[in-house]
Amino acid sequence: MREQAALKDLAGGVAVLAIAGLYYWATGDIAESTLSDEVGASGLPRILAFALAGLGLILTARAVMAGALSPAHEPAAKSPAPETDDETSTLPRALGFLAFGVAYVCLVSFIGYLPAIALLIGAVALYEGAPRNWKTLVIAAGGALLYWGIFVKILGVHQPSGLFF
Amino acid sequence: MRHLAIATAVAASLSAWSATHAVAQTPVDYPQKVVTLVTHSSPGGGSDVFLREMAKHLPKYVKATFIVENVQGGSGARAISRLAAAPADGSVFYATTPTYIYTSLLSKVQHGYKDVEPLANFFTDSEVIYTRADGPFKTLKDVIDKAKSTRGRWGAANPASLERQAAEQLKKAAGVSPAVVSHEGGGDLMINVLNGTLDIGVGEIPELRPQLEAGKIRLLATFDPQRMEAFPAIPTVKESGYPVALEKFRGLAGPKGLPAEITKIWDETVPKVLADPEYQKVYKTESLVPNFIPHDKYQGFIQNFGSTTETFLKESGVLK
Amino acid sequence: MHSLGIAFDLLFGSPIILYSIIGLTWGIVGGSLPGISASITMALLLPFTYGMAPVQAIVMLACTYIGAEYGGSIPAILIRTPGTNSAAATVIDGYEMKRQGRAGEALGISLWSGVIGSLFGLLMLVVMTEPLSWVALAFKPTSYFALGILGLSVIASMTNGSLLKGLAAAVVGLMIATVGTDPISGVTRFTFGSPELLGGVEPVLIMIGVFAVSELMMQSGSKGLGGIGEQVRVRLPSLSMMNRLKRSQFIGCLLGTFEGLTPGGGGSIAAFLSYNEARRWSKEPEKFGKGSEEGVAAPETANNTVASAALIPLLSFGIPSSNSTAVLLGGLLIHGLLPGPRLFEQNADVVVGLYLGSFIATLAQILVGILLLPFCVWLVNRPRAYLAGFILALILSGIFTLNTSLFDLGIALGMGLVGYLMRRAGYPFLPLILGVVLGHMVESSYRRSLLLSGGDHTIFLEDPIAVGLLIASTIFVTLSLVREFRDARNAKLKDVHA
Repeated sequence: MREQAALKDLAGGVAVLAIAGLYYWATGDIAESTLSDEVGASGLPRILAFALAGLGLILTARAVMAGALSPAHEPAAKSPAPETDDETSTLPRALGFLAFGVAYVCLVSFIGYLPAIALLIGAVALYEGAPRNWKTLVIAAGGALLYWGIFVKILGVHQPSGLFF
Repeated sequence: MRHLAIATAVAASLSAWSATHAVAQTPVDYPQKVVTLVTHSSPGGGSDVFLREMAKHLPKYVKATFIVENVQGGSGARAISRLAAAPADGSVFYATTPTYIYTSLLSKVQHGYKDVEPLANFFTDSEVIYTRADGPFKTLKDVIDKAKSTRGRWGAANPASLERQAAEQLKKAAGVSPAVVSHEGGGDLMINVLNGTLDIGVGEIPELRPQLEAGKIRLLATFDPQRMEAFPAIPTVKESGYPVALEKFRGLAGPKGLPAEITKIWDETVPKVLADPEYQKVYKTESLVPNFIPHDKYQGFIQNFGSTTETFLKESGVLK
Repeated sequence: MHSLGIAFDLLFGSPIILYSIIGLTWGIVGGSLPGISASITMALLLPFTYGMAPVQAIVMLACTYIGAEYGGSIPAILIRTPGTNSAAATVIDGYEMKRQGRAGEALGISLWSGVIGSLFGLLMLVVMTEPLSWVALAFKPTSYFALGILGLSVIASMTNGSLLKGLAAAVVGLMIATVGTDPISGVTRFTFGSPELLGGVEPVLIMIGVFAVSELMMQSGSKGLGGIGEQVRVRLPSLSMMNRLKRSQFIGCLLGTFEGLTPGGGGSIAAFLSYNEARRWSKEPEKFGKGSEEGVAAPETANNTVASAALIPLLSFGIPSSNSTAVLLGGLLIHGLLPGPRLFEQNADVVVGLYLGSFIATLAQILVGILLLPFCVWLVNRPRAYLAGFILALILSGIFTLNTSLFDLGIALGMGLVGYLMRRAGYPFLPLILGVVLGHMVESSYRRSLLLSGGDHTIFLEDPIAVGLLIASTIFVTLSLVREFRDARNAKLKDVHA
């Protein structure tokens, strides 16, 4: 258990370091302007990048010292350790959920708002264990009509329109 | 948003219909039944109000229904893309302001200001220099003198804006180097002028009107080429001895390749609309200066404005 | 006596009650849809008000603002999705209460606190406009910097025992706040040439991503939502509960008034500050984050107070202190009304109408809330499989209205992934949210101050407001650190004994 937590901390620390590095690299694109002040447009970003890198280093070091790299963690990682948070889903499962959102963003400008939102509701419901029957179909279609009514008809907000709708 | 726009357009054309009878003008025929006027500003914002007022009075002179469509986001880039993709048949126009030139220059936009065709200019917004009424400055010269002797503190409403450009050009013309501080908009700037943090601010009349009427703010000069009609006692910056003049334009642009018959109708209509007494009453209170620039001259005007701005942004290092 | 006469006419002569209740209901509905902020709700209504009488239009818009500030708390409590920026602080304890099956109680507390906040803000507006309007003027760039630092000092006590991780999250939040146009020079930062990013990243996208999308990802595949089948009734707090909430509501009222007076923020800063102050002064600080009633009451009081108090600088100076009051200003101008000292003389009917309409809306809020809330509770008790689809669809439809941009949807989904990974790795994300909310204010006001002084830091010492706020921040940080170390030592001692 302890090792697994340390492993997570190690991944976190490395991720923090990576963010700091990427961000620092992107500060190179900030133009130097005579309209600027002494601090400059890139002043705070540089400080932030160094601060985050420092924090990342400490976090990584602490995780290593806590035994993240010791061989003892191997069996612990394999055994299905009881999660402290019982509602936690596995990473692939969560990424799968997110994929429906991404698919919606990609599809909506081709097939239009109404069909896309119906597909989204239906697909997520099936993914989350709704029965594969006409009821789910009706709920997805009805939900899409409801949202279309609220956003497009009542609020009068544009929703993405596709090639056909 | 389209749905709201239609509702208001119907109301607008109704009120215009009753007005038509009063003026007894015959509107000219127009090849399109419905004309969509696109703006990047949100409902109630500057360009939105400009278009909605205009849409009320245009049907008196052009036989068409005018609809305002708000295409927000991307600092105007999305609205220009919407325009560039529209057919060049006079059915879609976009309300131009300097914003669309700044956005085209400052980011890699899909469609920039060079990808659309300026139609005609309607107005100029007056850019003014103001200070607090109980402050030590009575003329623009006082401000420049202070900037020469000690550290001047000037303010502009937004970074990368025409106001900022105006302040920088004045700095150069007067040969002084005060701090020019950009703010989060006109209200933020005005507070810092009122509480004495700043010597002067560069802004527009509509933002200042409440404080002007309450007598808390004194106008020192305008960047307009001529004196403002509403404030004839206020000198221009040029008259005060610094050769700087700016025109914050407001007009329309269409997709590239507008047919000549369309541009001709607009060239004839715009002066008539601007002379409409009811419309005049509305835009005079907003301190908009009528400044009709016809289609053939407007191309050059916008290109010139664009290249001046580009040079300014490059010289100051904002653009690489 | 004169204004009393006007009030009488307005109440019975024109259907002002109608306009205020329509505005309020519209506001609650708009505010409760994620991504549709108070200002968008008002802007959507604006074109309909063009044809109304000025007083009707202004009352309707102002009541929409009140409704939207309250409405944002409903999805915050029920589905962990802040409907508006300023409801983000309500998520913390509100959703926790919901998980414990106390959704009805949380909704009642938020409703009651909203009413208290609105009434207090209104009282300030009616009797204190003149003196308070000068508070807005007293705030200089140096004071804004200090206020931002005070807000960031909260981070020290929001890290749940992991100071380093909390700080890292805060720095990432500050990094997100630097995206967009540089506030001083106007050069672009981290936009990668995209015009969508010129105006920066909308905070509400971050909040919805980190709070709501990550929660949906966490729950994916689980059978029941925490506290299944809770068909609880929405109930207003009992007398003893009202008594317990007094302290946090008072804090919310004070900070909300303050925030309403000064430009920037627009409710979210007040909500977070009062959440933290409520915890600092609470008798049961250990309950915060674990479903504390006071943790719901404080931010909800604050953001509703802001909605009324923000009218003070708008009416007296014509200065909008938030996006929402900017829309209201547009409404005033379209009707040819010019805010400022003369409004009170020339258009007294509009001013009195506004007071009256807001008062009616505040009282009607209880009624509309009690009628509407059971339906909302029923909605979130549908089978989880369907609910997940509906929530994701609601989020993706709602945030599209911000800029009608698919790009924004991508940001929210991406932040959902970030939030999910942060939760798995034990990083608190409140510091990240605070960094996003406050980063711009801290940076721009710091640089403005130095620009004004020519690089001399003593300018901060010349401003008494700044000095006071900075001293307070120092004290708070020190106290939180001491507490953190003491808790850590106690925990260790316990370990040893066990």
